[in-house]
Amino acid sequence: MTEADIEAQIREMFEENYELLQAEGGHALTQDGKNAALRQVLLYWQKMRDVAENVTDTEVKLNLPDQMTPKGRKYGIEGVVDIIREDDRTVMYDIKTHDYDYVNKNKELYEKQLNVYAYIWQSLRGQELDQTAIIATAFPTAVQEALDRDDERRLAAALEEWNLLIDIPFDQLHVGQTIADFGAVVDAIEENKFAPASVEKLKTRFAARGRELLFATQVCRNCDARFSCSSYRNYVVSSGGRSDSTFARYFQEFGSDSEQEEWLTANLDAAPSPEAFEV
Amino acid sequence: MALTSLTIQDLWAAIKPKRFEPTDNQEKAILHTEGPLFLTAGPGSGKTRVLLWRTLNLIVFHNIKPEEIFLSTFTEKAAFQLQEGLRSLLGLVTNITGVPYDLSHMYVGTVHSLCQRLLTDRRLSNGGRRPINPALKDSLEQYFYVSDRRYWSSATAAVGFPADVDEANKVITQYLNKTPSSSRHVAATQCISLFNRFSEESVDPSAIRERTEDETLKALIDLYDYYKRSLTPETGVPFIDFALLQQKAFERLEQCLASETVFKHVIIDEYQDTNTIQERLFFKLAKGHKNICVVGDDDQALYRFRGATVENFVQFPERCQHYLETDATPIPLNTNYRSRRKIVEFYTDFISRCNWKRGSGTGHYRIADKDIQAHSQDEQPSVIVSTAGSPDNVCAEIADLVKRLVDEKKVEDPNQIAFLFPSLKSAQVERMRAALEAVGLRVYAPRAGRFLEVEEAISIFGIYLKIFGKPDRGDFKGNDYNEFHNWMESCLRDADRLLKTDKTLATYVEDRKREISTALNDYRILVEVAARHQWDLNQPYDIDLMMRSLLSAGGLSETAKKNLSNSFFGRIAKKRAEEGQPFMLSYVITRMTSIDWSVLDLFYRICAFDHFRAMFNLAEKGTDEGPICNLGLITQYLARFIDTYSAVIKAPFLLDGKFRNTFFMRFLYSLFRLGEAEYEDADDPFPKGRVPFLTVHQSKGLEFPVVVLGNPRKDDRGPQQVEKIVRPLLDREGEPLDRMSQFDIMRMFYVALSRAKNLLVIAHYSGRGQSISEPFKTLLNGQVDRIPSLNLDTLPAAKVEADNLTKNYSYTSDYLLYQKCPRQYMIFRKYGFVASRSQTQFFGNLVHKTIEDLHHLLIARRTQL
Repeated sequence: MTEADIEAQIREMFEENYELLQAEGGHALTQDGKNAALRQVLLYWQKMRDVAENVTDTEVKLNLPDQMTPKGRKYGIEGVVDIIREDDRTVMYDIKTHDYDYVNKNKELYEKQLNVYAYIWQSLRGQELDQTAIIATAFPTAVQEALDRDDERRLAAALEEWNLLIDIPFDQLHVGQTIADFGAVVDAIEENKFAPASVEKLKTRFAARGRELLFATQVCRNCDARFSCSSYRNYVVSSGGRSDSTFARYFQEFGSDSEQEEWLTANLDAAPSPEAFEV
Repeated sequence: MALTSLTIQDLWAAIKPKRFEPTDNQEKAILHTEGPLFLTAGPGSGKTRVLLWRTLNLIVFHNIKPEEIFLSTFTEKAAFQLQEGLRSLLGLVTNITGVPYDLSHMYVGTVHSLCQRLLTDRRLSNGGRRPINPALKDSLEQYFYVSDRRYWSSATAAVGFPADVDEANKVITQYLNKTPSSSRHVAATQCISLFNRFSEESVDPSAIRERTEDETLKALIDLYDYYKRSLTPETGVPFIDFALLQQKAFERLEQCLASETVFKHVIIDEYQDTNTIQERLFFKLAKGHKNICVVGDDDQALYRFRGATVENFVQFPERCQHYLETDATPIPLNTNYRSRRKIVEFYTDFISRCNWKRGSGTGHYRIADKDIQAHSQDEQPSVIVSTAGSPDNVCAEIADLVKRLVDEKKVEDPNQIAFLFPSLKSAQVERMRAALEAVGLRVYAPRAGRFLEVEEAISIFGIYLKIFGKPDRGDFKGNDYNEFHNWMESCLRDADRLLKTDKTLATYVEDRKREISTALNDYRILVEVAARHQWDLNQPYDIDLMMRSLLSAGGLSETAKKNLSNSFFGRIAKKRAEEGQPFMLSYVITRMTSIDWSVLDLFYRICAFDHFRAMFNLAEKGTDEGPICNLGLITQYLARFIDTYSAVIKAPFLLDGKFRNTFFMRFLYSLFRLGEAEYEDADDPFPKGRVPFLTVHQSKGLEFPVVVLGNPRKDDRGPQQVEKIVRPLLDREGEPLDRMSQFDIMRMFYVALSRAKNLLVIAHYSGRGQSISEPFKTLLNGQVDRIPSLNLDTLPAAKVEADNLTKNYSYTSDYLLYQKCPRQYMIFRKYGFVASRSQTQFFGNLVHKTIEDLHHLLIARRTQL
């Protein structure tokens, strides 16, 4: 199979998956969203060939059974990873649709996760791991810009610069602590403790795609339940001056203009015309 | 300890708090490893435990890999319990021997979920590439698909039914139900159940067509064929329904040689409720290794109406000869550990009071020699009959007894006393409920009510009716039709109340109404502009030529002007024109006058108002989750509406009340007529503090310290029409048509009676207009213990059995999501709200799925090299 064959296969599998996911009740992606998803897979193939060609087990389901929460509830932890076994080396990868910048700046989050997965793998399979890593498939701003401008030279340079692979230090020391945290979250879920993230948290910023992003815009603006949320309401009122007008605005908020236009484009194209269905 | 010296008996001894001591037959079944195994398991005979240990024995002591086992259960919950039980026991083994086990690739689940897995199993595809899979339509989607007006008229006309659809419907319903009806809903619903039956019997339409002379039946068979073909269009994703899913999986197995050997052990629970296509599938999977183990109880067969054929179980030994040319080893599990002695004796006697003999005189239509024995030696009365009397007196007496059981702590919670009925739609049910409420007890009847009639649905749809307007009540006088209009009117009354108390909500509703009328007005204006310039609506949109005229039209709203002059859209339009794919004028006019929001967007905004926000607050604090469960369900239905019709509400869709009719009179009215039920928590089906009222079918597989059989009557109305239609079309000989409904009634009551652990109470109605079914009539009029003579001191107190199941939590979609925002987690993950705008999940799934496919492709390529 040649390189081109594989690319063609990726496109074909991608289309099938898209249609299937959509047919099973997913909403339509905007054309831009769909293109970006395909490009992520193609670039993954292009940039991470060594990994892709050597994966021995894909989407391996991990399960750590018989854990106990601080309050005495039994539970298990689940996760999914990809594995490469070569000769006497075993590497665990977790593929994320996040971007490098975010992963790199929030490495400790990923360290915790992968080390728990590593722990599960080793106790489940009785097999030592030699390395753990994240593959972050969202492409960086430079690649995006080059794509937007259709500039091949810049794209080549940006791709050259781009790194998808983030090594995660292999460290089993803190696994116990992470699992204890996990147990506390299970207790909170079982006890129906579901207060929203605090207003302070909504005002925090985190790094991603080379920028500082606000929790309230990145997380809350993507959450349909924000209208009925006390934290988001307080955030809008406290950051927007007069409450009446900000309130009206927040009801009219359907994302940015371009987001709304994209929504219309995607759904006007995808939706069957009403005439096709009758009462 | 090394694995070689560990024995299964060591493990039995290590079980806490009490070592496991199997009976001889249980032990034989657990240790059986080769050839077909036929386990007849009476009620409460410990079959789940046997299955668990048998599977463990195969994995630990016979080197069978978990992924070589195919284990099918009746419910997902049963599958989960087995899997977690196994995981826990294997953990015990690992602690002793150090050998790890990985269950993630084991096949354990319902037949439907396992069929879906078979379709994506790369071991069953040629070349490692995942084959193209059909998308699954659930029963509601199937209904909307078949009953769509256009689909239905073209389908019925294509197979030769009268061109007048009303007439066609009458012909169909007359044939299928002996009651002619011109209703498309009635005709389509009846056809769907016939179609599903055909699929479950795996019939070939062209073959069965030859077996009948009846023109209507021929046309119905053709209609089935038309339906099946229509699901597989020439381009695009093919679809299947639940019944066809199994057929599809079977076809896949037929195409793949490896399918006969992939599974070394095939284990099927509740085998009495399998249908024809499932039987073929199971034997196909077991063909290579011949290790098929079935567990079941023909006396508890309940699902004929879903195509189940109890003969598959009763004649399992013959079927093994037929498919595998080998004998099955029968082992009866006949010791009942569940119930007190008198209960076991009562239901064993009950089931034998029917003539089960075959017409030929040899053999029975059931496994007659089961010899069910009670483990309990307790000779005290445990089957208690009410004093024979009028329904009011009987209900009062039983309610009084239930109250005493609760007060005297014979149960720890009222939810340990289950009332079972053949159907929840009878006068006896309401009478019994009233009697219990009169003594201060509360009743809970899961899925008995219509979802649309819960308070939350009434409030939400009341607001929708206010915004879009209520469809008029026509002259049509159907029962459902009137009820539905009454329902809409009650929604409107509720909305009036809400709008009165919340002025901001009233303003919001007014604004939306204005928005809709503006959109309609703009649409008319723009169409007029086009007409004036003699532009064809189907001609390309020429932005330089047309925009100015459109913009300057008199009366056009600011919104439309803003949309028309939107620079983002301008750029797309120009780009499209340059690429030779210009937008059409009609598209542009529609786009400029579309409503900004979908019905789901509207929902999330309505939730911001106090009345609805309060429901979220209750759930955030863990006070009451009832309302939010129902809100979550509403989002699922709204998402379905969007998937079937349209996310964008376009002006042409709003014209002439089209949208209103589609949303209310087509979509919600269908949900209403189908009786879509309210939310039910599968993990916690019986809320504390309430007495559960269940149908016997709902009680399958469950047990309760106290069971009340609230109505020992089920009239024999002969076999279902579909049985009479299907029987002559099939090759097999089944239970005689004139006896099957009696058999079914006996089995249904047998299930009800055998659910009781400590006490079984039976209502004995007598007097004018009252009747009870045989053999109850004879039994209850004979020597029985009556409620007034019951000495509660002889009754053991029930304990709440802690559900000690491990729950699994995902690192990313539980732990991390909760940490991000607990409320978001609650809404979307715990209560299953469907998001309206978020694309993140779809995007992530799509990328991951495709990368996974790529990996599989590369792995397959490597192994071929």
